Amino acid sequence: MSKIRWPIPITIVLLCLGIMLSLQFQAQTRIASDLTLQRTETLIAMVRGLSEKRQKLALEIIDLGAQLRSQVESNRDEETLLESIDLEMKKLQIVNGTTPVKGPGLTITIEEYMPIIYTDLLNIVNELWNAGAEAISINEHRITGYSTISVAEDIFSEANYSIFMTVNHEKLEYPIVIKTIGNANNLEKGLTLPGGIMDNLALFNAYPKIEKVEELEIPAIQKPVTYYFMNEYKPPEGTIAEEKKDEAANPLTKPLRNILP
Amino acid sequence: MWFILPIIGLILGIYLGSNITFQLPAIYIKYMSIAVLASLDSVFGGIKAVLKNNFDGTILLSGFFTNALLAALLAYLGDRLGVDLYYAAIFAFGVRIFQNLATIRHHVITNLRQRKALARGEKNE
Repeated sequence: MSKIRWPIPITIVLLCLGIMLSLQFQAQTRIASDLTLQRTETLIAMVRGLSEKRQKLALEIIDLGAQLRSQVESNRDEETLLESIDLEMKKLQIVNGTTPVKGPGLTITIEEYMPIIYTDLLNIVNELWNAGAEAISINEHRITGYSTISVAEDIFSEANYSIFMTVNHEKLEYPIVIKTIGNANNLEKGLTLPGGIMDNLALFNAYPKIEKVEELEIPAIQKPVTYYFMNEYKPPEGTIAEEKKDEAANPLTKPLRNILP
Repeated sequence: MWFILPIIGLILGIYLGSNITFQLPAIYIKYMSIAVLASLDSVFGGIKAVLKNNFDGTILLSGFFTNALLAALLAYLGDRLGVDLYYAAIFAFGVRIFQNLATIRHHVITNLRQRKALARGEKNE
């Protein structure tokens, strides 16, 4: 019985024991998480808990779905609102003359030798508006609600004293070309009807040239109007509740300066 | 310093066992646990024999494997017969393990005391 001989069998035995121990350990941990070897009560409890959880999650899905739908709907509403606002803004821009426009219409050319004064220009413009013109310009000056047509004297140079017509406070150079967009036939009739403006001018030997044009361009106003003092009029509280409600729903009833550039 | 080799063996065994891809079928886990218990008993018995200076390698190896196998077989037989020999095996091996451990502890403590006394005696002389 030598002392050297004992560790080898013990080592072998411990090696085998280690293998068995870790195998058993693994198997035991596997069992702990294996459903088929669980007790019925715990299984029932687990099923109950899981089904409750599942129900809760299903409710959450429904909830979130509804939320998503409402979000999508409100988004769509906003989009249509934006589109309509955009459209309205474009219309307003065209009407106010802040964008160039084009379309069929007339050009009226007045040469320098024709004896025409600014009231004749005013009459022509008024007649054109009456005949359904949608946009008018005189020598590339857009005529809007803020336009002026007037006369001015050159008082600073006495040598060549002159008097000239102005549109939007700018001197008019000859030839004066009035462009107008609208139904060309109607516009021409409006100008040339018997006893109308053209007959009137003919008395003074002025025969402006009227031409129908398939497509002409009318520029935007050079100086956009800025509104500092003008605000939308709101009726006092409680007087016209119905109308007020409509106004609140319509985003276009804001001060004009928010819409115009 | 010879006791380091068995410890290395144990660690190597655990490492091998945890890296083995073989998985014990769930039905045999019960028998495997009994076998492990028997093996533990054999190991402690071996350590006790070493301390008592009557160690025999053949007896240890044969005891280790046959005890494990027999314990598992007995448990299986008990299951077949409807007698819970499983518990008997647990009881028997459990008691023996505790007895072996107690003996090992006694030996270690007495050995330590003897050595201390020896050292003190040498100092005094």
